[in-house]
Amino acid sequence: MQFHGYPRPDGKVGARNYVAIIPSVGCVNNLCSHLERLIRGTKAIRHDQGCLHPPADTAQVTRTLINLGKNPNVGAALVVALGCEMVKAEEVYEAIKATGKPCDMVVVHKIGGMLDTISQGARKLVDMVAEVSNVRREPFGLDKLVFGTKCGSSDTTSGLSSNLVTGEVCRMMTANGGRFIQGEICDIMGGEYALKKLCVDPAQGERIVDFVRDLYMRGYHVGADTRGCQMTAGNVAGGLTTLVEKALGANAKGADVPIQATLDYAQEVPDKPGRYIMNFPGHGFENLTGSAAGGAVVHLFTTGRGAPNGNPVMPTVKLCGNAKTMGTMREHIDVDVSSVIDESESIQSAAERLYRFAVEVASGRLTKCEILNFEGMEILINGPVM
Amino acid sequence: MEKYAKQIHADDNVATAVSDCVAGESLTVQFGGQTATYACKQNVPFGHKIAIRDIPTGGSVVKYGEVIGSATADIAVGEWVHTHNVRDDYKCLGKDGAPLPGQEEGKACASRGEGS
Repeated sequence: MQFHGYPRPDGKVGARNYVAIIPSVGCVNNLCSHLERLIRGTKAIRHDQGCLHPPADTAQVTRTLINLGKNPNVGAALVVALGCEMVKAEEVYEAIKATGKPCDMVVVHKIGGMLDTISQGARKLVDMVAEVSNVRREPFGLDKLVFGTKCGSSDTTSGLSSNLVTGEVCRMMTANGGRFIQGEICDIMGGEYALKKLCVDPAQGERIVDFVRDLYMRGYHVGADTRGCQMTAGNVAGGLTTLVEKALGANAKGADVPIQATLDYAQEVPDKPGRYIMNFPGHGFENLTGSAAGGAVVHLFTTGRGAPNGNPVMPTVKLCGNAKTMGTMREHIDVDVSSVIDESESIQSAAERLYRFAVEVASGRLTKCEILNFEGMEILINGPVM
Repeated sequence: MEKYAKQIHADDNVATAVSDCVAGESLTVQFGGQTATYACKQNVPFGHKIAIRDIPTGGSVVKYGEVIGSATADIAVGEWVHTHNVRDDYKCLGKDGAPLPGQEEGKACASRGEGS
């Protein structure tokens, strides 16, 4: 099997061909939205960060914006800066430009106001869209694919069907030389030692435990028992008995595929096949952004009750094992795996179906999120806002 | 209509019902090419677990091939397995192996809200 993707100058292969409009700070979001409406083929990646952070968060936001621009689903990028923010827009612009993709920048304070910036930015975007629209899809091996994984609005069917099906896909896609990113440290809590056993390098396993400790202590400092925030009354009513049980159901999205390395939030995935654990939260907006910045071109998103959200630059495949949700939320779900629950289909067979679908999405098939324009994003910050 | 429960790993001593099952009915478990039937001694709702092996007090409850908690009572094959007879032993441990602060004994994990 092959997929048809967009070749990029740095050797990566994209599933989409967007021109990204990247605000270096949330203050220019509206300007980016105007540009997006004006120019076909563009995606504004609105976020609310970029200023008044401690240095570690400024670095994290900068890394995220750079790596979103480097995602191969992005064919070209326009960085939009205000001019006084903490994130250095030139750094974002230079790093994306270094990939060989068309990249340019406009600075509102230099140009003088929104209207003239829109005028200049729009002209730059016209040229970029014209150039990028001439990139053709070409056949590539499945080893070029990077997937992200996540569960959201989970229920008891998630750990029994959709997560297991996703795990089988991850087993198959890594056997084919692909890579996938898993994270959701809140969901790993309780299952960190099970994941540690799967790490190729024990030091990386200890780092997964550290991610969990860090999350726990950040909760503790604001008076929360993070274990309790994660294991909900609804989970218990649904049949989940312990936090470990819930975590193992979430971990199942990667089956028993060995873990190559851990990644910081929004860190680019190394060029080596296998499974990677990123320090990203469960919350969909920051989670999908971290995955896209890591280099995932398609995301496998399992849901029980029906989580509708997607990401602006990374198509998100929704799969669901709950037959009732398939009735009520059908327009949001791409792949129905409720057949695994009623025993009419094996996990293996459903996984082959999902893998095929994900490859079709990588080749251009639209997901429900994309068709419905159901997307949003945010960048994770860890420290106080000043 | 035949009612099913799912076993995920060969080492598991519980299976998860994928139909609501009332006491007296039986649940069929298909695993590793074998089919086994367990008589439910208590009601086991959809998504809840039934013991497929006897588990003594203090014994490990195993799902996904991993220990998910410990039995607080003797659990016989066919009995419902949940918070009334299983303890959540999980604590977030520091680098020295001691529990991090704020996880006092008896403080319930399950609490509030809707999670992921």
